[in-house]
Amino acid sequence: MSTFFLTIGFGLCAFVFCVLYRVVFGPGVFNRIAAISAIGTKTLIILLIMGFIYDRVEMFVDISMVYALLNFIGVLAAAKFLGLETDL
Amino acid sequence: MIRSSEDIIVRTVSRILVPFIQLFALYVIAHGHHSPGGGFQGGVILGASLVLLLITYGPQETRRHISEKSLIAFGSLGVIVYSGIGLICLFLLGNYLDYGKLSGLLRVVPSEARSLGILGVEIGVGFTVMAIMFSIFFDISSGGKPPDDEKNNP
Repeated sequence: MSTFFLTIGFGLCAFVFCVLYRVVFGPGVFNRIAAISAIGTKTLIILLIMGFIYDRVEMFVDISMVYALLNFIGVLAAAKFLGLETDL
Repeated sequence: MIRSSEDIIVRTVSRILVPFIQLFALYVIAHGHHSPGGGFQGGVILGASLVLLLITYGPQETRRHISEKSLIAFGSLGVIVYSGIGLICLFLLGNYLDYGKLSGLLRVVPSEARSLGILGVEIGVGFTVMAIMFSIFFDISSGGKPPDDEKNNP
């Protein structure tokens, strides 16, 4: 079972790098925000998978919940910042 | 300057989410010695819930919920709780923050007194971190203008 989770974890890590390309080279600011949000979601799942591998899911659930909350607030703050009348 | 948001989705989601974030922060503070977390992390989550309130409802509405005065009061209260527990241990002929000496005062065994003492200290740290985090964010977002100035020309 650990091999299964390890495979999924490494696959998700590879996908993070695919999305990171969009963060670095992505045209425009909104593509970058969406990509950062996607990386946050993937990190959350990777944390849960680490919890399964180390057999301490109840501990990693806490961390990933905090990560989800801060991700939500971060994206909201970035959208708020872009909503101001400034040239970007 | 952060204005209040008119988007009904953002407003509704924030209104529903803020109490749960604060409940989770209390859980993180209270379970700091069993699981990852503690006073600082719980305080940051509490501050994040207030930041969410600020970026959704704007400065005026947030000031109505938690004023500058109460932020300073919370920040000082946390320091008083922390240093007070430390000084009580000092007066009971122990070292500073030597929780084991609290066992006579709380009428429990020393190991339980240590657990309770750490919990009290973490509650104090959580108060201070929440107040100062939110105060820093509010002051940066309002451009350093005092609250009375915002009231006159929003």
